Amino acid sequence: MDRNGRSRPLWYVRRERKHVQDEIDEEIRFHLQLRVDELVAQGVRAEEARAEALRKFGSVERTRRYCRRQDERKEATIHRHLMVEDLAQDVRIALRGLVHAPILTATIIATVALGIGATTVIFGAIEAAFLRPLPYKDPGRLVWIYTDAPPFEFRFSVADYLALEAQQTQFESIAGFTSRTMPFSTGTAAELLQGRVVSWTYFRTLGIVPALGRDLSESDGTRGAPPVVIVSHGFWQQRLGGRTDVIGTVLRLDGADYELVGVLPAAVGPLEQRQDFFVAAQFSPPPRRGPFPYWIVGRLQPGVSHSAAASELRAINGRIFPIWQASYQDEKATWSLTDLKARLVGDTRTTAGLALAAVALMWLIACMNASNLLIARVTARRRELAVRAALGASRGRIVRFLLVESSVLGSGAALAGLAVVWAGIRLARGLSTNYLPRMQEIAFDGWMPGVLLSVTLLSVAIFGMIPSLHGVAGPIDESLRAGGRSSTSSRAARRMRRALVGSQFAISTPLLIVSALLLVSLNELRQVDLGFDDANVVTGSVRLPAALYREEGSITSYWDELSRRLAAVAGVSGVAFTDSLPPDTAFNINNFDLEDFPTPKGQSQPATPWVAITPAYFQVLGVRLLQGRLLEHRDTEPTAPPSVVVDRAWATRFFQGESAAGKRFREGGCTDCPWTTVVGVVSDVKYSGLAEPDEGTVYSPMSGGLTRFVVIRTQGDPRAVIPTVRQVVSGLDPDVPLTGIATAHDLVAQSLETPRSLSLLVTTFAVVALVLSVMGIYGVLAFYVEQNRKDISIRLALGGGSAEVLRLVLRQGLAVVLGGILVGLFIAYASTRLLSSLLFEVSATDPWTFMTVALLLLGVAVLACFIPARRAVGLEPATVLRSE
Amino acid sequence: MPPSRLPLLQGTLDLLVLHAIAAGPAHGYGIAALIDRQTAGVLIIEDAALYQALHRLERQGLVEAEWRPSENNRRARYYTLTATGRKRLRDETSNWRRYAGAIEAVLQE
Repeated sequence: MDRNGRSRPLWYVRRERKHVQDEIDEEIRFHLQLRVDELVAQGVRAEEARAEALRKFGSVERTRRYCRRQDERKEATIHRHLMVEDLAQDVRIALRGLVHAPILTATIIATVALGIGATTVIFGAIEAAFLRPLPYKDPGRLVWIYTDAPPFEFRFSVADYLALEAQQTQFESIAGFTSRTMPFSTGTAAELLQGRVVSWTYFRTLGIVPALGRDLSESDGTRGAPPVVIVSHGFWQQRLGGRTDVIGTVLRLDGADYELVGVLPAAVGPLEQRQDFFVAAQFSPPPRRGPFPYWIVGRLQPGVSHSAAASELRAINGRIFPIWQASYQDEKATWSLTDLKARLVGDTRTTAGLALAAVALMWLIACMNASNLLIARVTARRRELAVRAALGASRGRIVRFLLVESSVLGSGAALAGLAVVWAGIRLARGLSTNYLPRMQEIAFDGWMPGVLLSVTLLSVAIFGMIPSLHGVAGPIDESLRAGGRSSTSSRAARRMRRALVGSQFAISTPLLIVSALLLVSLNELRQVDLGFDDANVVTGSVRLPAALYREEGSITSYWDELSRRLAAVAGVSGVAFTDSLPPDTAFNINNFDLEDFPTPKGQSQPATPWVAITPAYFQVLGVRLLQGRLLEHRDTEPTAPPSVVVDRAWATRFFQGESAAGKRFREGGCTDCPWTTVVGVVSDVKYSGLAEPDEGTVYSPMSGGLTRFVVIRTQGDPRAVIPTVRQVVSGLDPDVPLTGIATAHDLVAQSLETPRSLSLLVTTFAVVALVLSVMGIYGVLAFYVEQNRKDISIRLALGGGSAEVLRLVLRQGLAVVLGGILVGLFIAYASTRLLSSLLFEVSATDPWTFMTVALLLLGVAVLACFIPARRAVGLEPATVLRSE
Repeated sequence: MPPSRLPLLQGTLDLLVLHAIAAGPAHGYGIAALIDRQTAGVLIIEDAALYQALHRLERQGLVEAEWRPSENNRRARYYTLTATGRKRLRDETSNWRRYAGAIEAVLQE
């Protein structure tokens, strides 16, 4: 609306309503006066002329109203245009100002963007894990079915599954599935695929329709039917070239031919994540109740409640219990069900809460830091703002300008935050371990844009509002007189900035304490005694294709030959096989009934990890014999009496001080099997994870088997022998894949992946928070010294020692820091106990950790305060006072 | 005075007002007097309608108003044609000519 090309003043004031009406009235009055004048000039008497003029005019009142409405509408239009123009002008000025303060701008945008982005990503992760419905059809009716034997939950056996399928009435359908690895041979090389054996009902129960080909059919699940396979979208893309004509072709899995009948869609649920293939289970009538490899999901009939379905499950379990009593006596164990989503999400609320708290606090500190920097900027500019106000800019106008400046910063932060979100989503999807479930489903849709926007707006409100209000607070003329120094409003600004910095320390302290507690835990976990010599050990998994190794003889001779060839490799000093690996891979957990302490009828029998090994295992890993003897080759003979070796924890758990050697038990709930004898006791090794207590392990002799871990002790660097080991395995039989090659150190590192990534996340944010807090206190003190150059110089000129000045300045800063740290310690003390479940061997209120963190913070803060304090001491009184 | 005066056709007042100030700025009374003179008093134009038209045209951005001293040195509100107003005047004039010509042609039959 600037029609004259003139720049409109900053303080444009809208015409008041009253002015509009006055002008119209004046215009009409002028008209009537001229008319009267004219009539009088023609000789009409004044009275009559007046009446004639009014008559000729028509309705004055209506005209006033009409014109006023028109004028007001015009004013409103102009005002709207002005608003837009002002805003554009404000944005231009703000941009120019911010470009001239690049460090301030970059600091604010980078830190706030990190806060906004990280908070949004964690929100997204939490949304994917807890709020998003499962990506299955009608997921509310899906349940997880299991055997409930507190404190344990067990899977189902074939016998259980068949009985449930035959007798249930409350479910639309049920499905069973179990994990299976199978070697996939392309003729030249073999690799190991991860997949599932599923009942033919699996996909229809979950409501998954193959993207290509067909679903499994009932005939695929009948015994003797030709084997078929459905593959994942990823497998189809990577190994089959994504061609649509692959349906009906043959895949060579586990040495046998499988017809490829279907390809899954790209988007699958958490149960199908990371699975390459799905083959139909062909159940045969079981000879006994166990083993129990099947997870069960069920789809309830519409309208059926969980409790109705649960009581039917209990009834069926009760009905089949007597049938299998010879092989299963655990009468306390019942069948139960839970919502599928609740089961898949599991107990991750603490982790999620901690991650969210860490990012949100870091974000808050970033905003406070920005606020602090902007207050300093406004304080320094108070004189300029006061001049503007004196020239007529309204306070609202100045506040608006400052808010526009904050909004420009906020927009920059939101854009950069978007980049952080993008990177964060990629990172979360790519994580090898899930510390939250369903991380693959995080996407920038649904909630996330809204969260990003809200967090951005909130950020602008935090770092924009306080400086803006401060910018116009207090009498303006005072600011002009004082030149922005030592006035009451600048004292208010100083108080505000100190409060902000104090709060930053109050938030950083608990963040750093939590990060320290996690790091101490991680360190404790690293210190845990694995129970074996983990230097110079390399392991891998070898899997024989079932169709190529049918006879016991060929299997045994393969393992013997492999062992012989590996032992002959230069640098290898020992080779053994096992089905489990320390520190957290126990292949089997078995129950047993001790001869000396039989489990009463109807009670659950004790269960411990069950590790099958070849005799060389103890020597290769350096496990010490404590009592009796080790397992020997003769124990693997089919005719040998069943013998096992137990570890010290097992012996202590069941036989306290007594020697466990020579004790006997029966395995796996069997009542008429021969007794198994404990022939020796060895030192403890971790198989259930580093954080778990030792509750005993049983070692049984290993014979046959298609899958084995190979454990190799080397003389030097274990990585050096890996290429030769690969050659030996593929040279012996190219159809046999060797996978998961790792040193013992790798295995330990892998088992610590989850706590490590969590502590890395929290530590990162805690360090950012620390840096920002330190920047805050530095900024406040530097500003204090700058503003009090005169006072300090006078002190120095009057003979005040530099130590005194140093003390004065340091006291200014440390009072704020100490207050913040004390409040922070209190917050930490009240809240860290929520994290006890994530901590290992360190108390949530560990006094050493609390003290160390407090001292660290204090130390860094003292350093930050020292720099401006030194500058104060270095002032030249004469120069300063002359320049004032 | 002529024996009968004609009421104004709908929509023609704006055209007359725009035309009246095309020559130069004028205040409301001046415009009324000019139109009266030019039409020889045949058309009845209420002052009220004139002022309403002026403020409406101002809102539409066809004319601009400014307070200035009048001939006898009193404050008066002067109206000027804007660029948009000038263009509108041209369009409306040619529209009116075509309209009047068409009606005339029919009546000539």
